[in-house]
Amino acid sequence: MAHDPGFWMLQALNALQLSMLLFLLSIGLTVIFGLMHFVNLAHGSLYALGAYFGASAAAVGGFWLGFFVAPVAVAGVGVLLYSGLIRRMRKSGPMAQVLVTFGLIFALLDLTRLFWGDLALAIQVPQILAGRTALLGIEYPTYRLFIIGLGLSIFAALAFVLSRTQIGAMIRAGVDNDAMAACLGINVERLFFIVFCVGCALAGLAGVVAAPLLSVTPDMGLQILIPTLIVIVIGGLGSLKGAVAGSLIFGFVQTFGAVLAPQLASVLIYALLAAVLVIKPVGLFPAKG
Amino acid sequence: MLETRNLDKSFGAVHVTRNVSMKLERGERRVILGPNGAGKTTFFNQLVGELSPDGGSVHLAGEDVTALPVAKRARRGLSRSYQKNTLFDGLTVEENLGLAAAVHTGKATRLWSDSLADPEVREIVEEVAEQVNLMPHIHAKVSQISYGVRRQLEVGVALATRPLVLLMDEPTSGVGPEMSKRFHALLNNLPRDLTMLIIEHDMDLAFDVADTITVLNYGEVVFDGLPEQARGSKLLKDIYLGSWEDA
Amino acid sequence: MFRHNALRYAVLVVLLAAALFQAFTAEYFGLEILTEILILAILVLALDIVAGFGGMVSLCHGALMGVGAYAYALLSAKAGIAPPLAMAGAVALTGVTAWAIGAICSRSHGIYFIMATLAFGQMAYSYVFEALVFGGDDGLGGIARLDLGLFGIDLNDSRSFALFCLAALGAVYGAAVLILRSGLGRSLSGVMHNEQRMRALGLTVWRVKADVFGLSGMIAGLAGALAAQHIMYISPGLLSWTVSGEALVVVILGGLGTLVGPLVGAAAFVVLKHELSGLTSYWHLVVGVILIAVVMSRANGIFGWIEARWGDRIERRVADATRKPEPEEATSDA
Repeated sequence: MAHDPGFWMLQALNALQLSMLLFLLSIGLTVIFGLMHFVNLAHGSLYALGAYFGASAAAVGGFWLGFFVAPVAVAGVGVLLYSGLIRRMRKSGPMAQVLVTFGLIFALLDLTRLFWGDLALAIQVPQILAGRTALLGIEYPTYRLFIIGLGLSIFAALAFVLSRTQIGAMIRAGVDNDAMAACLGINVERLFFIVFCVGCALAGLAGVVAAPLLSVTPDMGLQILIPTLIVIVIGGLGSLKGAVAGSLIFGFVQTFGAVLAPQLASVLIYALLAAVLVIKPVGLFPAKG
Repeated sequence: MLETRNLDKSFGAVHVTRNVSMKLERGERRVILGPNGAGKTTFFNQLVGELSPDGGSVHLAGEDVTALPVAKRARRGLSRSYQKNTLFDGLTVEENLGLAAAVHTGKATRLWSDSLADPEVREIVEEVAEQVNLMPHIHAKVSQISYGVRRQLEVGVALATRPLVLLMDEPTSGVGPEMSKRFHALLNNLPRDLTMLIIEHDMDLAFDVADTITVLNYGEVVFDGLPEQARGSKLLKDIYLGSWEDA
Repeated sequence: MFRHNALRYAVLVVLLAAALFQAFTAEYFGLEILTEILILAILVLALDIVAGFGGMVSLCHGALMGVGAYAYALLSAKAGIAPPLAMAGAVALTGVTAWAIGAICSRSHGIYFIMATLAFGQMAYSYVFEALVFGGDDGLGGIARLDLGLFGIDLNDSRSFALFCLAALGAVYGAAVLILRSGLGRSLSGVMHNEQRMRALGLTVWRVKADVFGLSGMIAGLAGALAAQHIMYISPGLLSWTVSGEALVVVILGGLGTLVGPLVGAAAFVVLKHELSGLTSYWHLVVGVILIAVVMSRANGIFGWIEARWGDRIERRVADATRKPEPEEATSDA
């Protein structure tokens, strides 16, 4: 089996699919950090909320309704969080932010249980994405290909927005030096708000697209949080490049680790993280010098 | 005692230190003059190891220390003060000096004894407090003392490691001329065998303490000699007047 | 720098009296809660040393406690080593683990430090979860308590075990005070206040951080060894990052960098948890909201708030009371 090129192809696609899912989550978290120096540990909870909103909407109007409702609804939650908590916590140190968002994790966890109960929910994959597709000599689940495609298109869209549009230039200026950006007449406060909401929407999107692969449970947000944090610490907080690199590294190390060294698989990624922290304490592609 | 040979450093296209060679004998008091942006502080940072040079070497007491990290150089007798106060803000004057003295006496990493209560540390603390005139404020917290006293403490902390070479980055920056004069008098009363390298922005103040003077301009040594020669130098006037015009 | 003041002594005395009263009067359930509080208190003291006095906000202290618990279980139940030695071994092993984590993370600051320690905690968690020797998801059972029969004490009795944990907590508190007042502890607070300057003075900063982190790890390991003996069964859940998070919450709710505050926090947290979980299954929601409220209020926890409000006044009153009354005042009254 190990000498079968199709097998490795399959693993590579699995790794890529995991990477893309993590990318959707980490990009929001990392840009919010880069711009606002705010670490939102509750980002995973937003992902879980996305899955729940998606599952509820899908139960009414099918997968595609859920697919569009989830990011919008989670962005709505983001608006509430931003105006209620985040805006007031911006000037606090990292510890206060970590604690407040840790409190949010607790609160959101129980709120999802309160609204949706403890039982796992499921989302059906739509007909068009069900089944398998032949690709480069192997049969691969169409839905997973859809996730890869979605991740790549979001990446392309973000890269375009960041490098070619005015709002992208404003965000880059804000990441480099928010005080200077404010001096240049950029409405930094509004920029933060928009970026925060987009980050939340992407987390919600990640939740709803991950839902058919996993079951939707209250603790799914907790489970995804650690991989997401590893991605952005390896990649370097605040940079698009870092989020991409971190996601790919995590996806491939995790997937191939499980195949090549099953005993070490779970520890491998943490060992890699430790190595990165020793050699480059601020990650591989930090946003600033 | 302290020597640099062809020290060189660039940040991208900006050449901040150009081939700087400088030599301080034991007990020598040298003042580095130069307009803003002449590369004085960058030069200091390379001396103590907070910045690594692109080329050249730093020698302390005859030994090449270019590859040594900040802490190791400090333990060999190189101590600095900062242009911007870099103190332990929540702590008292006594504790500030004590932390430094503890490192010097090797008590800073002991688990079985309190470094601040150690007789050897206390002796250094008192001595330094006398030397830089901090006795009246010894139990005050940093937040409770005036800016001028903080500048004294800034140098006092550096002095409490009992260095061979004391580097001071504009010790009187932000302090009025009256107080600066008094501060220079304190420096002149320090033991004669202490080697000092002082960055000073104000030319007149420099003459209070300097045995020798180095002038940096655009990262380059443009003058190296005695204060008397510097005083009448046209070059110096041009540099300073030039910089005034720029500003 | 750590200092005791009148308020801190007073709260310590009250806490000790309450613990002793509970230990001698409570029934089985009350004793279980007391023991839970005492073990959590040991853990949060370990965390307060690094977070409150060294600025090293660790999210791996729960995992360190788990390392101590597993080390004790394996050494005593599987390797057949005598419980006292197994306990010493567990403490030492956790200390070494923590030292290594501290050394690796010493160059990271702020959010990076938090995340790096979080990752190491998870590393230990997933390793314990998957390695067969640790019993995986099922955990390990049949863990024996220390045998103090020699002194006529049976630790299998809940009351004795609670008192044993109280003694351990007392010893740990004393050790914490000694650590913070040692040269190492002084240097640590120097590093927290100004790391750059400490380095410029010649201190090997990473060693100080790693050493204190190791000492803190030893204390966390002791908490783990006690926790394993308390429940006599351990599972990987002990190492989960939410345990570390809860410990941090307790330190914050109590008052970071006060040592006394986290003790108050531990008692409040465990009691609150038991009261709330009796009322509602959504007690995490309540804890979450309280946590957000406390952090947003910008007070340094319950104890920090009390200290900021009344600490000075109490200090002054104590000073007045101990000073000899002036003769003039004495006569003017007459």
